Amino acid sequence: MFIGTIIYAVINSFILIMLAMGFNLTFGISGVANFAYGALYVLSAYTSWILLNLLKMPYLLSVMISILLTALLGGLIYRLVLVRVRGQALSEVIATFGIGLAIVELFSYFGLVGFEYTLPVFIDHSFLIAGTYVDAQRLFIVGIGLVLVLGLWLFTHHTSIGLAFRGIAQDERTALTFGIDSDRIATLSMSLGAGLAAIAATIIFPLGSIAPAEGYDVLIKALAVCIIGGLGSSGGVIVAGFVIGFAERFTDTYIGSHWTMIISLMAILLVLVIKPSGLFGKQKELEERI
Amino acid sequence: MKMHVRLLGFLFSIVLVCSVLSSVGNAQEPIVIGIPTSLGFLEGKESLSAVEMAVDEINAAGGVKVGASKKPFKVESIDLRDAAPGVPVPEALLGLEKIILEKKPAALVVGPFRSEALMAGMDIIAKYKVPLLGTIAMSPGSEKKIQEDPAKYKYVFRTCLNAVHLVKYLSGTMGLINKEFGFNKVYIMHQDVAWARATAELVKKLYFDTAGWTVVGLESYPTGTSDFSSALMKIRSQGAQVIMPVFDMPQSGTLVKQWNAMKVPAILSGFISPLAGSGAWNTFDGKIGGATNTIFELGSGIGSDKHPPSKDFYDNYMKKYGKEIQAGHGPAPSYESVYILKEAIERAGSLDPDAIVAELEKTDRNGVMGRVKFDAGHQVVYAFDPQEASVSTVFQWNDNGRRVIVFPETIAEGKIQLPKGLKSLK
Repeated sequence: MFIGTIIYAVINSFILIMLAMGFNLTFGISGVANFAYGALYVLSAYTSWILLNLLKMPYLLSVMISILLTALLGGLIYRLVLVRVRGQALSEVIATFGIGLAIVELFSYFGLVGFEYTLPVFIDHSFLIAGTYVDAQRLFIVGIGLVLVLGLWLFTHHTSIGLAFRGIAQDERTALTFGIDSDRIATLSMSLGAGLAAIAATIIFPLGSIAPAEGYDVLIKALAVCIIGGLGSSGGVIVAGFVIGFAERFTDTYIGSHWTMIISLMAILLVLVIKPSGLFGKQKELEERI
Repeated sequence: MKMHVRLLGFLFSIVLVCSVLSSVGNAQEPIVIGIPTSLGFLEGKESLSAVEMAVDEINAAGGVKVGASKKPFKVESIDLRDAAPGVPVPEALLGLEKIILEKKPAALVVGPFRSEALMAGMDIIAKYKVPLLGTIAMSPGSEKKIQEDPAKYKYVFRTCLNAVHLVKYLSGTMGLINKEFGFNKVYIMHQDVAWARATAELVKKLYFDTAGWTVVGLESYPTGTSDFSSALMKIRSQGAQVIMPVFDMPQSGTLVKQWNAMKVPAILSGFISPLAGSGAWNTFDGKIGGATNTIFELGSGIGSDKHPPSKDFYDNYMKKYGKEIQAGHGPAPSYESVYILKEAIERAGSLDPDAIVAELEKTDRNGVMGRVKFDAGHQVVYAFDPQEASVSTVFQWNDNGRRVIVFPETIAEGKIQLPKGLKSLK
């Protein structure tokens, strides 16, 4: 059972990392805490479902369109709404939270409730690993999580846009003097963040079923990981993902499932008390942004 | 003089026409049924549809006879959101008060989703004296309140199953499993909400602890939990032969998928919302063969040829809305409640809430779920024979994607079959 717990803790950690990656990227580059993140995550899943089941599109095409549309919407949210309140942290939070709320409520309004809203697994198979059965979808989550982490690192370190991203994240004024268009970069970061949410939804939702309320859960999880890791820190997200992922699974196995949420919240509280900027956060305090 | 007579006659005619028109208007003024529930959840959504279906049928047949006039029903709904994670009870209750004050309903049907909201909302219902026929919240705590202060809380009725009657059904199913296969080790998993908590604890106390079963684990899960791997590993390592889940959240579908993926050698038998409807076979890619599930009220999610009203309701819903009922809890008693209300109003001959309540208490009809009668706590009595009481249903998914009713015996279509990889001890 101990080995099994470790296996599922690793999987849980990657789920959390994937859930938080997009949120963290957007915040790190544009400084926007995108509270519509959870709604975009669920929206992409519903979009895939509609394309797949109602419009009878092939799976791969449905998923690609869904990811692109979600990324586009993320960018549009920035261009149409956030650009007007840029720099006003509270206004940004309220605006994105309002948009997220509207999106989630629209699902209920259009009757997208029930249990039939599910996305297919990539491969329907279970593998026996060290005496524990693990389904292929969870292994895909680990694999794709690793690929995304590596891909993001390569993107931000070896592409001109990625370098511009890092430039803006590190020192916006200096980046501006080099001719980097900060609004364009912020739009791209919102798009990329939303796209990452859509990718996460595509591979995580097949584990269960799509429900509007998932949007709130995802936002809370993403926030928890980012706050512990340090908002804007990629390394922090990975470390925090593992800290919370392992804490949750071990608490669940050896203490009790109803303690998992308490442990997570206590961890957030502890980090905020000891180091408000998070484990790997920059020196700016959390209240500057949220 | 003639002129005066003509003028008087003309005025009299106008008065007469106006009085006739106004009496017609009064007769046609609809009786409002308020539906305050969590409309963003399947049970709430389909319960509202069932109410609308009953209302359409009644209105098409001429409406409700109130004294000398006939009036149509009119449905007004509000989303309480009380089933959504993190929505506090006071916020849900704002919606309950809003619909009472703004829509002036003669009665409420369906009502709060969560028992926590119902219990707190009983004071609002008592304050405004609006009869409620609840069809989702299940905690017996509301009945206790009614019996402690009937004058104040007499307006609250429940037509759906409650946790106490559900315990009878779960115990009966476990007894059947023990008798057929000799299994006696169970792992109980339940959602951390009032009705599920009460159900799980009562089954343990009243059945498992007295019938010689070993309860290897009893765990509660916060609403929204979407990973059950730890529990499933414990089940495997501790050798539980039966898993008794009690969940109504959408995420509980993950439990079924994980149970299948982790190849846990235990029969799944309890209540999981996503397993109830016919659509579950496709939702879970046909990987649910062997799982048994409770349908809280006959007609919700499944009908039986052995009790034709349930089949008629199930089929008519399909005809009207183009899809089968997927919720195993709510729709049948919601539909039934409208007819119960209609009959009570007609017997009372008025819309006075006290008169309606007095007549509701006398209800005795052959309905969708079986015979409908209220007990002293205003709870419809559920037992095992539809001729004598309302009934629930336990069915098993077979490997061909068909749901076979296995309990109670009065409407059973077959016996419980063990899922692959699990051997009988007998």
